Amino acid sequence: MRPNFNVRVLRDQKARTGVLNNEIARRAYLYVARNQSLPAQVRYQAQLQLNTFDKYTRPTTVKNRCTETGRGRGIMSEFGLCRYQFRLKAKAGELPGVKKASW
Amino acid sequence: MSAVAPSRLALLTRLRCSIFQTAYNPTSIRTGAKYLRARLRGPSMVNYYPVQLSISEARKMFPKFDAIDFQEQERVEDVEARKARGKGTPRKARSKDESRRTKRRR
Repeated sequence: MRPNFNVRVLRDQKARTGVLNNEIARRAYLYVARNQSLPAQVRYQAQLQLNTFDKYTRPTTVKNRCTETGRGRGIMSEFGLCRYQFRLKAKAGELPGVKKASW
Repeated sequence: MSAVAPSRLALLTRLRCSIFQTAYNPTSIRTGAKYLRARLRGPSMVNYYPVQLSISEARKMFPKFDAIDFQEQERVEDVEARKARGKGTPRKARSKDESRRTKRRR
């Protein structure tokens, strides 16, 4: 079953595909724009080109959200789960190697 | 003790660069090489969310696949029940006078 995904997850997926599709072109423009050995005019043009890219092509717009609920905060990055889903799954024994501490 | 001439030191670094195959950049100018050197992050980013099939999607992919979507069934039943009680969605207004918004303002 598809989990209860919200619009923020859809937006994040859009950003991820946008990054994938535009990454090489963006890198090329970044190289030109940040290269101090190139003439200033060329670098400026490259920077203008960089600014024309969509917002959702920048890697910084991508946010790791909970893969189970889509929650954006309190994510355990190793598991891609928010803290509550992590607790539930760990207690159900669905996360290999994770055990409740007791001493 | 005699100091080593700066030109000799520059020669040394140039030689060192040619030996170890690094770029000779005495003024530490920014070349933008790090944007080309870094690995591409897109391919791994796209695979973050696991691929999950819903029943309606599975039906579209395999038309012969005959499964009952209980959630959808329940939703449709609820809507029918609501309609029977006269709690369905209101009709689209034909004119401006019919619209509920203008009535509410009075």
